[in-house]
Amino acid sequence: MEYILGIFELSAINLVAVLGLSILTGFTGLFSFGHAGFMAIGAYVGGILTKNLHYPFWVAIIAAGLSAGLVSIVIGRLTLKLKGDYFCIATMGFGEAVRLIFSNMNYVNGARGLADIPQFKGASLAIPFVVAVIAIVVAWNLVNSRQGRNMVAVREEELAAQMAGINVLGSKMVAMIASAVLAGVAGALMANFIGFIAPKSFNMTKSTELTIIVIFGGLGSISGSVIGAFLLTALPELLRAFSDWRLVFYGLAVIVIMVGRPQGLLGGSELTPSGIRKMLADRKAKAAFARAKAGGRES
Amino acid sequence: MSVPILELKGLTKRFGGLTAVNDVSFRVEEGGISGLIGPNGAGKTTIFNLITGVYKVSAGDILYKGASIADKEPYKIADLGVTRTFQNIRLFKNLTVLDNVLTASHMSAKYGLAEALFRLPRFRRDEKALREKTMELLSIMGLADRAEVVSNNLPYGLQRRLEITRALALNPKLLLLDEPAAGMNPDETNQLMRLIGEIRGKFKLSVLVIEHHMDLIMGVCEHIHVLNFGCTLADGKPETVANDPKVVDAYLGAEETK
Amino acid sequence: MNLFLQQLVNGLSIGSIYALMAVGYSLVYSIMNFSNFAHGSVIMLGAYFGYYAMTLLGLPFLGGAVAAALGSAGVAIILERLAYKPLRDRRAPFLYFIITAMGASMFIDNSVIATIGPTPKMYPNVFGQGPISIGHIDIGRVDLAMFIISAVALVALILFIDHTKLGKAIQATAYNMKASALMGISPSFVIILVFGIGGGLAGIAGILYGMKYQVFPQIGAITLKSFIAAVFGGLGSLPGALLGALLLGILETFVSGYLSSQYRDLIAFTLLIAMLVIRPSGIMGKNAEDKA
Ligand SMILES: Nc1ncnc2c1ncn2[C@@H]1O[C@H](COP(=O)(O)OP(=O)(O)OP(=O)(O)O)[C@@H](O)[C@H]1O
Ligand SMILES: [Mg+2]
Repeated sequence: MEYILGIFELSAINLVAVLGLSILTGFTGLFSFGHAGFMAIGAYVGGILTKNLHYPFWVAIIAAGLSAGLVSIVIGRLTLKLKGDYFCIATMGFGEAVRLIFSNMNYVNGARGLADIPQFKGASLAIPFVVAVIAIVVAWNLVNSRQGRNMVAVREEELAAQMAGINVLGSKMVAMIASAVLAGVAGALMANFIGFIAPKSFNMTKSTELTIIVIFGGLGSISGSVIGAFLLTALPELLRAFSDWRLVFYGLAVIVIMVGRPQGLLGGSELTPSGIRKMLADRKAKAAFARAKAGGRES
Repeated sequence: MSVPILELKGLTKRFGGLTAVNDVSFRVEEGGISGLIGPNGAGKTTIFNLITGVYKVSAGDILYKGASIADKEPYKIADLGVTRTFQNIRLFKNLTVLDNVLTASHMSAKYGLAEALFRLPRFRRDEKALREKTMELLSIMGLADRAEVVSNNLPYGLQRRLEITRALALNPKLLLLDEPAAGMNPDETNQLMRLIGEIRGKFKLSVLVIEHHMDLIMGVCEHIHVLNFGCTLADGKPETVANDPKVVDAYLGAEETK
Repeated sequence: MNLFLQQLVNGLSIGSIYALMAVGYSLVYSIMNFSNFAHGSVIMLGAYFGYYAMTLLGLPFLGGAVAAALGSAGVAIILERLAYKPLRDRRAPFLYFIITAMGASMFIDNSVIATIGPTPKMYPNVFGQGPISIGHIDIGRVDLAMFIISAVALVALILFIDHTKLGKAIQATAYNMKASALMGISPSFVIILVFGIGGGLAGIAGILYGMKYQVFPQIGAITLKSFIAAVFGGLGSLPGALLGALLLGILETFVSGYLSSQYRDLIAFTLLIAMLVIRPSGIMGKNAEDKA
């Protein structure tokens, strides 16, 4: 029972971080190799506040989100103007730099990591779930607002977005901050759930694993990210025997998805009544389009 | 004379050694429909890119309602009321027709980020009004029955029409159309001609259109500016321009080499 | 003064490895306008190819290097055909290329962990023991080999690009793919060629780097340095990548020597961000206005 609960706790925590990446990569089309850096910032802020300064969990979680958000403003200013590969390389540099800074910081025990962080127990075990629900609602509201639509426009066609009066840099910034806050919160939850954090838990592999969940769920789908986060956190825990092959499979699956079904599980669609209606309407239109095309060729 | 909605003054754009637009000056009168024509590579699209701030001006100035917009960011120029369509359609391909237009009408909603994140009353009110306004625009443009179709799946002619609709969603004062009839058959072109005339009246805007279809240009434009190799070749009323030997030469020359 | 010269020599040696990686990566970028972020995995495989060629097959060092180069070139070409080409064919957005590269990298790295295992492996010592002394400066035998072989490979590449028909075809395609396709240069062929060359250089880098340290599945992480070097020099510019790599190598050894090795990578990343902010096109890159 406790084991199952643990899996759900981890899923909920991962979900918070995944939602952030879903906004950044799935909705805005920005790819970051260094997102784990924001998680690390949140984890260390949360860990220090609860362990060394004895603050309650919720204060630590909010502070963690805010710190990651503040750092993201600086990083966003520096990097969001960069195009394509340059942005990716810059995020790589950022993620690695954060990891190195914590590895060399004696106050947090350097590379050996920070242990004996107060852990959730009893009623506080509900915290990750409460936070996850709030994160889902907020992320959902964001992507369904004009600010969210602007992000999608930036992902789809930057130039057309500008011509539609959208401040491209501003939209990217909102996405970056939102995703960093969520990553920071997830980091603090992680610290207080596991009770131990080390710089190497927040390497590039962590960043890419989170991105993979977004891709499985489908770029541009909040419900896809939610389902993806629970499935992909629970599955490897249940299939421990194959743990070596898990990432092999993930890597292969990512290539197959990108080559064969880039929309992932639910790309661009949502598992809600109106979302399903939309999906069906589009199926019809596509079929009609294909028929019209075939007819045109015959005549 | 009243202030023109758009005035180009000695506009010049250089790409490295190539001068794509060379000392071009002309004006678009408020409420008018003007045409910009010229052979391939004459610099027409480049002028649109300069007006909309996509490219930075090398020399000269661009006045919109009498004030310079040459150094403004593209999105700010759009907010001021200058929008465009693209020669090679650039829709938000994976979004529905409705979402394409809804996205472009974002400036009509006033709610802030916090109001959106927590669905406060103004968010609900603005969103509802936005959707109603968008559906109305779609009906006017004859796209209402396709509102839920992903735009990439629309037939070509309707994609062009959607691009114009998306531009109109910004309540523009000046609409720039880059070869709106490209790839259309004569029937569709006629329809488009009528549509451009209607839009101008209904939305009270001025239009600058780039076109190769001479009948379209002659049919709708009140004023025409002709470019060749980045330089002005002629400027004036359609009938004057059409009979200008220099214009005939440039066009016939271009046709022969095709 | 001696310390200074010593550091300079060490820096050139590590910089030459960075150069092998950065030049291959930049070459692919110059044609495709996208980074093969799986380049590190190709380097790692090269280190294993070389290792097994020398230990299992008992080949001498040069044989191992050839095996590493050919093996890695093959892997890079397969990667391009199976993963990137389908995306190119349907003009997938840029984002998909990066995600695919990330997936490929994850697949390759973890396949090695799952099959060969994470334990580091030692190359046999083929260069003999003890440093070589020139005046007061000591040069490690592996470091010297690194420098010489990298230099030979890079000079060969430059000669190839500047003085052969194929090399000119690459240059033409990098300059303008559509126009050179019209002139009868098959883009598909050029793409395979650059992935092959980039992969080959990666393989050589892999075997040399594996000899200096050890061979293990995460060895490809070092490519991050070559990305930094390529950005310093200007993405897509080969002389830029070369210069950026040598400068980075020298800078790193000086930071380790005079400050502390703890700050070495941190300074590299800070410089990267600073460079991107101040001059994203790098030392030699060109700053062009995107065509709209
Ligand atoms: N970003 C750019 N960089 C370099 N050259 C450019 C750029 N944009 C346009 N040009 C060049 O400027 C010239 C004018 O191009 P432009 O697209 O404005 O022509 P056009 O009149 O719209 O032609 P068409 O009828 O073919 O659309 C061309 O020679 C083109 O190659
Ligand atoms: Mg044009």
